Amino acid sequence: MDLSVPLMNSLTLGSLYTLMALGLTMSFSVTKIANFAHAELVTVGGYVTALLVNWMGYGLGESLIAAFFASALLAVAMDEGVFKPMIKRGSKPLFLLVASIGIGLLVRYILFIYADLNAVITVQAKANVQLIGRFGRAGITTIHLWVFPITIASVVLLHLMFHYTKPGKALRAMADNEDLARVSGVKIYTLRRLMWFIAGGITGIAGGLWSAYSVITPEIGWYALLRIFAASILGGLVSFWGTIAGGLIVGFAENFGITFMNTYFHVSTAYRPLISFVILVIVLLLKPTGFAGIDVIGWIKEKMSKGGE
Amino acid sequence: MQVEFLLSYIPIFTSFVVLFAIYLIAALSLNMEYGYGGIPNFGHVFFISVGAYMAGVLTARVVDYIAGIKAGYCSGQASVLRTEYLSSHPAEAIGLFVASLVLGAFVGGLFGYAASYPALRLKEDFLAITLIFIGDMGRIIARNEEGIVCALTGLTGIANPLSFIKDVHMRSLAYTVVVVAFAVLAYVYVQRLAKSPFGRLLKSVRDDDLAAMALGKVVPRVRGEVMIIGSALAAIAGVLRTFYIQGVVADDFQPLITFLILTMVILGGMANNKGVIVGTLIMTALDQFISPSFLSLLGIRVEFDVTYMKYIIIGLIIILVLMFRPQGAIPEGPVETPALELSKSSEWDVGEELKMEEEASKK
Repeated sequence: MDLSVPLMNSLTLGSLYTLMALGLTMSFSVTKIANFAHAELVTVGGYVTALLVNWMGYGLGESLIAAFFASALLAVAMDEGVFKPMIKRGSKPLFLLVASIGIGLLVRYILFIYADLNAVITVQAKANVQLIGRFGRAGITTIHLWVFPITIASVVLLHLMFHYTKPGKALRAMADNEDLARVSGVKIYTLRRLMWFIAGGITGIAGGLWSAYSVITPEIGWYALLRIFAASILGGLVSFWGTIAGGLIVGFAENFGITFMNTYFHVSTAYRPLISFVILVIVLLLKPTGFAGIDVIGWIKEKMSKGGE
Repeated sequence: MQVEFLLSYIPIFTSFVVLFAIYLIAALSLNMEYGYGGIPNFGHVFFISVGAYMAGVLTARVVDYIAGIKAGYCSGQASVLRTEYLSSHPAEAIGLFVASLVLGAFVGGLFGYAASYPALRLKEDFLAITLIFIGDMGRIIARNEEGIVCALTGLTGIANPLSFIKDVHMRSLAYTVVVVAFAVLAYVYVQRLAKSPFGRLLKSVRDDDLAAMALGKVVPRVRGEVMIIGSALAAIAGVLRTFYIQGVVADDFQPLITFLILTMVILGGMANNKGVIVGTLIMTALDQFISPSFLSLLGIRVEFDVTYMKYIIIGLIIILVLMFRPQGAIPEGPVETPALELSKSSEWDVGEELKMEEEASKK
């Protein structure tokens, strides 16, 4: 069995899931909203990129920047328009989740109408894709040159921001305890806006890359949402490094899992989402804190000190 | 002339009433779980689909066996033969209908019990996430397996139990009566359940499970029981739907159905069954009348698929209700106990006293 194709697919999809899940991890850790409308940030990013590339003839880079701003503004609008007023009225977390489903339906079907009127229900950004190398039977294209560096850069930048800048540290404080952060002089609403802006923007870029990688529909975000949640929850919903591990595990488990099952047990490839679902359920039931709950360094130290005695 | 004119409206009328009744059963069961019990069962469509598949599989397999139909399970020929057999054998048809209801409710309850395993262990928003995706996984399995409901083509030939009635209008009216009877029964049942000590126990667990536990109530058991009851009711709605559309297709059970039913509950008022009737009526009207066929009847033509419009409105309703009136159209009433009724009938007015106390505290 040639594993180069599933390996390449896993890496690419794993990176895309990671990029999408980073935004969810960020917004969930700061606001504690399980945001189902996160799916629509992916879709909007994808459509902005695809339409700019196909209709206006922009390059992929400019289009991705536009996608960043489109999704970022949508994310801020969601929070300002719905979540913040609801939180100020003292809504329960579950109501916020349901409201996010409502936002998702609203945005998704407005997009559907737009796509239907313009005959772009299925669309792919016709970016300039060139084959630059081969890995076994899998081709390495320019798309991969976009996906991998952007993912790595996003994670590194987010890590630097959250650990070495003042707003980042304040956001971490907010994630820990919002009231305490507020009385310490953190401007929580300004920071919230910043957080939604960045979270939405990164997700939009992920959607844009997806539209260059494969065909998208207005439901692409909803289709990816299970993987996004699985990746985020695997990462413990608080840590960026955990989210990378989560995204890659979901990507690898789905592609390798389904290739393996399909080759040896003739399981239909349509069962692909079940793998992510099983991951999600197992993590939630057995280790709800995900990777963030696994204290590797502490464990090693403990072993060392025991060994020393 | 007059009669014919009226007859032409019967299909619209019956389809509306039947769908309203089926949605009502589903919404009441979701209200039981989410409104009263506080369990966010957003995988509701899965439990409806369990009943629907059960009715389809049971009826098709049994008819194939007793009528000796040799054509393939999914073939069109088998579907025709099944319909012929069921419309000429009323006793068997009704027997299978009843058996489907009983078995559907049982299997639905079983799945509800299985789903209560995570329901007892997860925080409510994680539970909601898990259950939403459970709803979709059931559909993915059903649409890829030939043996359940014939994958994408769908299982057909599940004739209406009343198809021995030759007149089409009479038949649809009769089935409407049957479905409405089930809806009324479901309403009476959930209403009685809500007023019973069990209903009060549910509300106490929803509001503060720690306090309920401290008073010696077995919280996991209560949650398990309400999941079983709710899922069984949802499965009954699914069985009724299968016999109404005379077949079952896996792709009819999209997660969107859950959100439609959830909107009924939220719009009407959580933990209030009367409110759920109002919510279901509004949303069923929306569901039925924003459709290409109905709009073309009115002479309205649009360039895009109007079903998209329906989901936009659903999304808007969810957002607006949760933002501005989270208690719904008819808010949750006080717990109806004998003590409350006594205070209503006697001269001693609790409400007045409370108001006086409030005013006193303001001063």
